[in-house]
Amino acid sequence: MRDRSQEGWEPKIVAFLCRWCSYAGADLAGVSRYQYPPSIRIVRVPCSGRVNAQLILDAFKAGADGVWVSGCHPGDCHYISGNLYARRRFVLLKRFLEFVGLEPDRLHFSWISASEGEGFAEKATEVTEKVRALGPCKRLHKEFDSNQENIW
Amino acid sequence: MVSVNKRITEELRAEAGRLLESGEIAAFLGYCRGSLPYAPRPFVARTAKDAERLIWNSFCVINLANYIPGLLQELDSEHGAGDEISGPKVGVVATGCWSRNIVIQIQEQRFTRERVLIIGVSSRGMVDRKRLHSAVDGMEITGIEEEDHIITLMAGGEGIEVPRWNLIRDNCRTCTRPDPVFFDEMIGEPQGERSIAEPFSQVEEIESLTPDERWEWFQQEISSCIRCYACRNACPLCYCSTCFVDDSRPQWVGKSLNATDTALFHILRAFHCAGRCTDCGTCESVCPMGIKMRLLTKKLQKDLLELYDFEPGLDLETPLPLSTYRQDDPDLDIVSEPAEQDGVRPSRKGG
Amino acid sequence: MDKPKGSVLVVGGGIAGVQAALDLADSGFFVHLVEKESAIGGAMSQLDKTYPTNDCSVCIFSPKLVECGRHLNINLVTLASVEDVTGKAGNFTVKIRQAPRFVDPDRCIACGSCSEKCPKKVPNQFDLGLSKRKAIYLKYPQAVPLKYTIDSDACIYLKRPGRCGACVKVCPTDAINFEDREKSFEINVGSIILATGFRPFDPAVLDFTGYGKLPGVVTSMEFERILSPSGPTHGHLKRPNGKDEPKRIAWLQCVGSRDINRACHGYCSTVCCMYAIKQAVIAREHASWDLDTHVFYMDVRTMNKGFEAYYSRARKEGVNFHRSRVHSVLPQPPDQGDGLILRYSGEDGELKEQVFDMVVLSVGVETSPEILELAGRLGVRLDHDRFLEASPLSPVSTSRPGIYACGAALEPKAIPLSVVDASAAVLESELLIHEARWSETRKKEFPPERNIYSEPPRIGVFVCSCGINIGAVVDVERVCRYAQSLPGVVFAQTNLFSCSQDAIERIAETIREKGLNRVVVASCSPRTHEPLFQETLREAGINKYLFEMANIRDQDSWVHRDDPEAATRKAMDLVRMAVAKVRRHIPLPYESIPVTKAALVVGGGVAGMTAALALADQGFPVHLVEKGPQLGGNARTLQKTWRGDDVQPFLHDLVERTSGHPGITLHLGALVQEVSGSVGKFSTTLSSGTSVEHGVAIVATGAASFIPRSKRDEKWRYLHGQHKNSVNLLELDRRFMDDPDALSHLKQVVFIHCVGSRAEDRLYCSRMCCSRAIRQALQLKKLNPGMEIFMLYRDIMTYGKREEIYLEARRKGIIFIRYDLDSLPRASLDAHGKIQVDVRDHILQEQIRLHPDLLVLATAAVPREDSGELSQLFKCAVSADGFLLEAHMKLRPVDFATDGVFLAGLCHYPKPIEETIAQAKAAAARAGLILARDYVPAESITASVDQTRCVGCGVCQEVCPYFAVKLDEKNRKAVVDKAVCKGCGVCVASCRSDAITLLNLGNQELMSQIEALMEDDPEPFTVQELS
Repeated sequence: MRDRSQEGWEPKIVAFLCRWCSYAGADLAGVSRYQYPPSIRIVRVPCSGRVNAQLILDAFKAGADGVWVSGCHPGDCHYISGNLYARRRFVLLKRFLEFVGLEPDRLHFSWISASEGEGFAEKATEVTEKVRALGPCKRLHKEFDSNQENIW
Repeated sequence: MVSVNKRITEELRAEAGRLLESGEIAAFLGYCRGSLPYAPRPFVARTAKDAERLIWNSFCVINLANYIPGLLQELDSEHGAGDEISGPKVGVVATGCWSRNIVIQIQEQRFTRERVLIIGVSSRGMVDRKRLHSAVDGMEITGIEEEDHIITLMAGGEGIEVPRWNLIRDNCRTCTRPDPVFFDEMIGEPQGERSIAEPFSQVEEIESLTPDERWEWFQQEISSCIRCYACRNACPLCYCSTCFVDDSRPQWVGKSLNATDTALFHILRAFHCAGRCTDCGTCESVCPMGIKMRLLTKKLQKDLLELYDFEPGLDLETPLPLSTYRQDDPDLDIVSEPAEQDGVRPSRKGG
Repeated sequence: MDKPKGSVLVVGGGIAGVQAALDLADSGFFVHLVEKESAIGGAMSQLDKTYPTNDCSVCIFSPKLVECGRHLNINLVTLASVEDVTGKAGNFTVKIRQAPRFVDPDRCIACGSCSEKCPKKVPNQFDLGLSKRKAIYLKYPQAVPLKYTIDSDACIYLKRPGRCGACVKVCPTDAINFEDREKSFEINVGSIILATGFRPFDPAVLDFTGYGKLPGVVTSMEFERILSPSGPTHGHLKRPNGKDEPKRIAWLQCVGSRDINRACHGYCSTVCCMYAIKQAVIAREHASWDLDTHVFYMDVRTMNKGFEAYYSRARKEGVNFHRSRVHSVLPQPPDQGDGLILRYSGEDGELKEQVFDMVVLSVGVETSPEILELAGRLGVRLDHDRFLEASPLSPVSTSRPGIYACGAALEPKAIPLSVVDASAAVLESELLIHEARWSETRKKEFPPERNIYSEPPRIGVFVCSCGINIGAVVDVERVCRYAQSLPGVVFAQTNLFSCSQDAIERIAETIREKGLNRVVVASCSPRTHEPLFQETLREAGINKYLFEMANIRDQDSWVHRDDPEAATRKAMDLVRMAVAKVRRHIPLPYESIPVTKAALVVGGGVAGMTAALALADQGFPVHLVEKGPQLGGNARTLQKTWRGDDVQPFLHDLVERTSGHPGITLHLGALVQEVSGSVGKFSTTLSSGTSVEHGVAIVATGAASFIPRSKRDEKWRYLHGQHKNSVNLLELDRRFMDDPDALSHLKQVVFIHCVGSRAEDRLYCSRMCCSRAIRQALQLKKLNPGMEIFMLYRDIMTYGKREEIYLEARRKGIIFIRYDLDSLPRASLDAHGKIQVDVRDHILQEQIRLHPDLLVLATAAVPREDSGELSQLFKCAVSADGFLLEAHMKLRPVDFATDGVFLAGLCHYPKPIEETIAQAKAAAARAGLILARDYVPAESITASVDQTRCVGCGVCQEVCPYFAVKLDEKNRKAVVDKAVCKGCGVCVASCRSDAITLLNLGNQELMSQIEALMEDDPEPFTVQELS
């Protein structure tokens, strides 16, 4: 098991990026050589509208220290309206997870277009810094070696 | 002077009897006396004679909407499957929140409007069992006399008079719509919309805590959960054929009492009810451990009202809030956390 | 004519050329796309946002560019120009000259090492000189082809060989070739499409603007780059000095447009009003401070879909508009600041001054001298505005048969109309050479695919060094060894360049040899390379969806250069995630839908008939449904085009040809009653009971003329229907046609513009009325030069070349009086029962009374009342103003969001006849693209329902943007129409029961990927071991 409290701990952040805009923005950050912390692990999804509570919670459960979802700006969705459904879902979910005590800076949402390479790098840095400041995420993380697993 | 609930009981019996007799409905869903004086049980009347057993009082805590789809299915198999519109009808008694729940169920195509005949009653609030027991210091309650404002509990050989409102559930206390919003007939008098000064005060109390305190509260609240799923089973909105907690493909939530698994269960259960929950309080009423899981759905209800001006189940036409959008919905920056904004709450953005 | 050639030459790689090339290549023709620059993209690639949707320009355009670059049937010829064209329509010989790139495009992997090392900096023309680039450069980050170019004017080596050559030293693939020389070659094509675009007007010749002298004065194109996140200031709003943030910005409209005296351009450039408004809106969004924005204009021309509402919102949000004439832009005296003093006269004629930090010149468009020369060489005529000449009734045909034109080469126009033109030009080409369809196209054949269902996962991982692009930062050998340890992986290897031809072949061979059934390539971005590797899988005989990429370059080595250890660990994570995901991948069928080769066209007006004929003439059977008893539609009331061409003979011919065409079945007096099916296989029932099977549908149901009915609309009545001398434009045209002599006796005529348009309930400009009214006024003047004519208007919308009739009208003494929405002209009857009109003259500042013999109302065009129902039948959307809504306002102007259904003409938005014709032809071209094939490809990664889990709540049906999911009527379970599903996954995310999934992108696959990230890194090789 990865020791999550060791010195030199670096956060791991799952980033769900829509393939049309934000993933392209991430590529552009690379093409333009904008540097950002090596903490982001990108999961490419067709649309931010594909991402739901279950995927986000799964990332936390599996041990992500932060989760970041990014899609096309409202109005730019490749699938007409996917990001607009996503927007409601995300706004509601984030407020809700904060309500049950998830630290606000664990979960991030943004709109980043294919031409916002620098914007992507900036947001990646911001997300990392905020998550790093919180330390390893314990809430909602399921320790698999827990003895409780087979209690029955 | 006969109490309101008694009068409703009488009229309910008469009307359900008439409907059954005339064949307008094949069954009527209501409550009858249960084995305990404070626990009437859901009951299906199929004949006018059955209807004589119907009762209505302050202890009808389980949302009857949950039984409609199953009952319709049963009727279909008995009577031979009619089609969705002309098949045999179920009559049901419904309060404000139950009737709105029925609206959601119709919107989610669990059954058609044509197959339910809703007899609306205005709810005067239902009793919280915890409050009931603490009113008699945990003594066995052997009988109950209910009047409009006083409930007399027979315990320890004497009658203890308690002001009725003191025993009422939290959700009923903050209920703004006690009258049925969607019905075919109405029994008794409507009370009108109630204005509640701070309908979300309990939620706001938690919102005002720090994240650490909220997490503490949440962990504390669900720590007693035994994962019996009574809350889920009693909820008319939980009807997936395979619930995510029972799923093994992939096994997303472990089956054990792992704290994370329990938290995930409660989070996702509540989130699945977002925009659908009408705060009927059944989940809390049936919880053997007294977990206040209603606060979770109440928080979602509050945000939906603030962000999208949405209240569930008021009509059949308004789409459910997570199945629709507006171009000018509040954008992502609205998510910033109220408690950390120097006391400034995000205001509800116009339309 | 001999059998025509099956190839087409498209000149110009801007949006119009790209659209034309893609449409042609997809409908069976081989395309040579000739672009003078090193990459296609044209002006649209330089834009920040596009109005009125504020879409990011590159975001929406880039996928088309990539498709163009990869298309098997598009030969991209960059840095090239057309020298000469001989031959005739159907068989041209074209001589092309191509300048040297000095970089071998087959070798260049666009790693950028050369550019980084190149010592020579020159102004970057892509940013209009506001930034610098190197002598070896990529035109812009998303350039297609994604290949570097050496600027021979700037390169040190090319000027003095031996002095530099830094790029040669660092290029990992030996792609630099200083010996590259200019080439000339010939091609044979059946037709030619000119999409040569425009160039922005250079305001340096206009002294009064201060451009070139005052640093705060920029052109709109320069400002566009300043707004762009990939521009010189990374989207940070700054003055051109690069330091301060502007607090006050002015936009000066009509710089180089509508100006015969100073700019020699009488025409209106059409796009500037809207782009200025957009820039003001976006600039305000970019600024974190309170930005003061002012637009100085003559008329605000908001004559297209969504524009008026956009303008209205901009005003509400605080953009200021001044109807004015700009006198000069002067520097502030140094003691007062470094601002710019704008002197202008307002509508009242008073000279005013206002200080700004920045002045943006909304420069117009013009044809570049090279294109003028090209036109000369090709022998195609120019009009007097020096655009390529075409006629309103044949809007994309040049004077030389077989050569067509589209976009801003013809007239200043915005993106959507350029796209429409492009498809219309494609249609003209098809009409000319459709016999040669598929005769010159190439097709790729693949071996049959191995059935891998019974096999355990055998995953191969290929880790790319990308020269040193990845290898210099990420320890690829370590990643490769790590990959070998992962469950399911049976083979792992590193490649120097995974995308090189030899590496591709090696990957294919390894798949066959090792019996791999899943492949992961850890290299660059799937956006650019996934199709290439997927093709490799197919060549090796396995399904292309058994593939996953780990992006360890663009999203790893390039962004973590200073931390090789972390970058290497991240690469391992990404590979582990990809492996975990691909393990669960299943082969997916390459979905395709058989096509019923017939079209349904709804509406028998000009749009419907034009589209029907365009398809029928290519041999596709057409069913034309018209609800009325005869063909002709609104054009029956139209006498002339804006330019004065007679419409009735044209219409007569159109009706004759349509009714006599053997390929067209007419259904007059019929309505569409029921539609089922989807692209390729629609089945439609008409009110006559007839059932029609068709593969595509074109909706061309027209519009109606506004008639005030409600109390709210009473103010627009102007005695119409109450007094015989109050008529609308249609009725006046009718009088022209029936009895022109009667009109010649009129003494005074008053026109009122915008009757019902551009106001509360109809917040849109009806686009065609200004030109039509002015044309009628000119005709009246011709009948009787002494006639007094007044035009009461709000803004004159004679966009593009139409401006010339406005000028003529003013020359001929027609009097224009402006009115505001809050002081509408009023019509009443005087004591003798004669019409009198009261209006306030803004210039004279007084109320005046007119006594016309005839009052003419330019009434709004309004949507047909039943257009909503029809669009619902085809599952199409309607926009807020009631007109039918296209799939994408910019790039898919004639497509509906529902595949296989297209729209044309007034049902889309009010427009003049020439645009209706172009749009109808475009719709026919888009429809023909489907009809030309036996099968249309469909998305393979679609939603899929687990019926045992589905509870039939219908949320999927509710959220699907494409109406692809339905509840089955019988068993109440969701069913996905695979032909319609686009694979967005919104339904998947919405389903509470996990009953609907996206193939290979379901919860299981994504969760495997997520959970793999957090697994222990069983790092088998420690750093010490390695060293």
